[in-house]
Amino acid sequence: MPKDKFFRDIENMHHPDETLVKTHCSYCGMQCGMNLRVNTKTNKIIGVEPRYDWPVTVGKMCPKGVTAYQQTNHEDRILRPLIRDDASLKGTKEGFREASWEEAYDKITDNFKQLQTRYGKNSLSVFSGVSMTNEKCYLTGKFARVALGTKYIDYNGRFCMSSAAGGFLRSFGVDRGSTLPWTDIHETDCLFIAGSNTADCHPTSMFRVWEVQTRGGYLIVADPRETPIARRADIHLDLRPGTDLALANGILHLLIKNNDTDDAFVEKHTNGFEETKEVVKSFTPEYTSEITGIEKDKIIRAAHIYGKAPNAIVMFARGIEQQRKGVDNVSAYTNLALVTGKIGRPKAGVATFTGQGNGQGGREHGQKSDLLPGYRKITDPENVKAVSEVWGIDPEEMPEEGVSAYEMIELMAQKEIRGLYLLCSNPAVSAPNLNFVKQALKTLDFMVCSDFFISESAEFADVILPAVSWSEDEGTVTNLEGRIIKINKAQEPIGESKPDWQMQVELAERLDRGQYFTHLQTAEDIADEFRRATKGGVADYYGATWDKIDKQDGVFWPCIDEKDTGTPHMFLDKTFYHPDGKAKICALPYRGAGEEPDGDYPLYLTTGRVVYHYLSGNQTRRIPFLSDMAPEPYVEMHPDTARAYGLAHEEAVRLTTRRGATVFKVKITEAIRPDTLFVPYHYGHEEAINLLTNAALDPISRMPEFKVCAVRMHKLEAEKV
Amino acid sequence: MKRRLYIELENCIGCRACLAACTQCGGHEQRNRNYVYDINPFVDTQTMPLMCLHCEDPPCARSCPAQAIQIHESGAVLSAMAEKCIGCQNCTIACPYGIPKFDEEQNLMYKCDLCIDRTQYDIPPMCASVCPSNTLQWLTEEEIENKQRRHDLDNGKWVASMPPLENETNVKINLPGILQGTEKLF
Repeated sequence: MPKDKFFRDIENMHHPDETLVKTHCSYCGMQCGMNLRVNTKTNKIIGVEPRYDWPVTVGKMCPKGVTAYQQTNHEDRILRPLIRDDASLKGTKEGFREASWEEAYDKITDNFKQLQTRYGKNSLSVFSGVSMTNEKCYLTGKFARVALGTKYIDYNGRFCMSSAAGGFLRSFGVDRGSTLPWTDIHETDCLFIAGSNTADCHPTSMFRVWEVQTRGGYLIVADPRETPIARRADIHLDLRPGTDLALANGILHLLIKNNDTDDAFVEKHTNGFEETKEVVKSFTPEYTSEITGIEKDKIIRAAHIYGKAPNAIVMFARGIEQQRKGVDNVSAYTNLALVTGKIGRPKAGVATFTGQGNGQGGREHGQKSDLLPGYRKITDPENVKAVSEVWGIDPEEMPEEGVSAYEMIELMAQKEIRGLYLLCSNPAVSAPNLNFVKQALKTLDFMVCSDFFISESAEFADVILPAVSWSEDEGTVTNLEGRIIKINKAQEPIGESKPDWQMQVELAERLDRGQYFTHLQTAEDIADEFRRATKGGVADYYGATWDKIDKQDGVFWPCIDEKDTGTPHMFLDKTFYHPDGKAKICALPYRGAGEEPDGDYPLYLTTGRVVYHYLSGNQTRRIPFLSDMAPEPYVEMHPDTARAYGLAHEEAVRLTTRRGATVFKVKITEAIRPDTLFVPYHYGHEEAINLLTNAALDPISRMPEFKVCAVRMHKLEAEKV
Repeated sequence: MKRRLYIELENCIGCRACLAACTQCGGHEQRNRNYVYDINPFVDTQTMPLMCLHCEDPPCARSCPAQAIQIHESGAVLSAMAEKCIGCQNCTIACPYGIPKFDEEQNLMYKCDLCIDRTQYDIPPMCASVCPSNTLQWLTEEEIENKQRRHDLDNGKWVASMPPLENETNVKINLPGILQGTEKLF
């Protein structure tokens, strides 16, 4: 692998009586390389050392990465299975007692069997997450469909990545989150970053982002907030929340007007340009400015720079994806790369910042209701046949397509789903419209939760199973580049905790489906079966052996056989994955947000992250350094807004939407639009902003519209009067 | 090859990974010895790391009545020697930046020692190792000179340690907002 300009030979610090275990961070899709320091006498993880030899992050870590190791031996870890006999206590921390694995397994299998006997196979559901290894994600899909025989499996990627997936699939016929490796980013000439607070959410990308500017390249940022990355951008497009599609159409309009399109590329390698031209005809700078609220001149300048850039990368994240038109937004930004031909070569392309650790791999291998391993469709008989052969089941046995994550919760409320096996996810914080979600979880007849801390969602469980943290197991994950990397075990599981894959194998035996699972006795056994299950699929991992991953510093998929070294750059031959080999330029008429401000709810509410916390905060809120830095949520607002409502910094206000109300402290900053409020979403119970967010779903990705809803604000004193 | 800590202020994104990393350096006992300030929090998101500059003639050491603050041959101004420090806090008062912190329980001053257990073997200090925004960099003299050329002011002075502060420093800081000589690529 070529060394980039940040690469420097630095020996790792090696303390006496310690072993360094090379691995990757437990959190976001960057999967920064790190060494865990393990005491050779106690065999416990005691600290962290930068991993200078990792090409993507060259030793860099954010505050979460630096302190991630503190999860493993944290005092809050669940060490033994917990059972709660009194269902009336659901939704609280009360009533759990320690139990043996045997008792916990018996209770689970009895309840699962009873529910399925009484209400049918599909009365059970599996709700999983993508902070797990590919092997665990794969086995969870197999467990749901083979051991439980239910069609209801889906995952928290619906709250995170599915719009990017939907957009890429529609535009390219394949969903790989980045068409190029991250080591290209600092070498491009123009970065157009939309809806990503990169400094807080993917900080270890920042040294490459700044390098673009240091070299004289341009940085264009579209965001309603002046985040650290927007602050230093050459152009900050400060749009109204939920208007990204209009902005992308407006830029496309100007690219066409300025003759910045690559007509030969469009002609040879794409479809759909003529229809798209028609749609964007009306998106003049004036009209785009009217919808988005961005000054006309800034839009013109941004289009000019992107259009003239020899190489450019369009990058985006949840800001554009967590909308009820998230898939359209992704395709609209992808259009920019396609019409200008800035794709299918180094230093140019499209990428999404993956939120969860294995957001990419986790959605490829069968946790989604509509997908089987290797990105195979469960509705395609050929695809079903291929996977059934690996699993050793009759294709007839394969359950049909289920529903998306939020829709599963709706079916729980309707009593169509009676039981839930929840792992690696915390929907009681991370799902939208939480009052409804919590009621739905309470309605369940029986719920199992596997986690290593008692999350807000685990409070609704009948049985909690103690899982291991990332450092106590091994396997592969796929980072935001599409690079398959290896997570290594640094410590034996503490207490009686077990990896999820082991629990699933043992549960399958007790559910009388052992014949399909008992051969899987190690993570590597699963890896071997998992690679075979992806062979020939779109996301083909067959050639990505653990050995090759070690030798090559990761392997980019597709990697089809032993000789294949993988695919760092996608579409180098200008062949896309649609049947005719062409990409699709999508004609996308503008539509507004699911809920726009009005007289009753006059402001926009948007949500996002802070650098100190990861997802629902179940892990990071327990780490002292991170918790001290960001102990509670706040509502960020412009000084003009604060003045209009008579509010001072740190004063408490009540926010109300059509779904709920809750109280936050005010944080005043000019770094936000006056018509918009922002609240970070990492907090639970009454501090959860998702009590207020709107569950309007994207029609394709079924992702909720976390990023925009209409909100009313009251000063608490005024409310009393 | 001698390297120095170099701070490129306007790169700072306020993530405070440098603070978290400082707690992880051997001998730092989970206490960080650096600071990050919100420059104008009601206005924007600009933040600034404040690290010990390791003055060549450090006021903290000069003001120490017990000579507890030693200077390493590399130029690093070390933390107080536990057996000598009398807890008078003169050093904190003398330092123009208020860098030395005080541990009430141990009656002991502690400050950035430039991760001397690492830097003496040319391993970057933890703060610069992890800094995801390249605000804190561990550079050779030559690399710093190259940076200096881009940050030169007309008067040829560019480091924060120019008068009236105490003498020269071993840590170099750029002046934010001055990126002279950056020509746009197109």
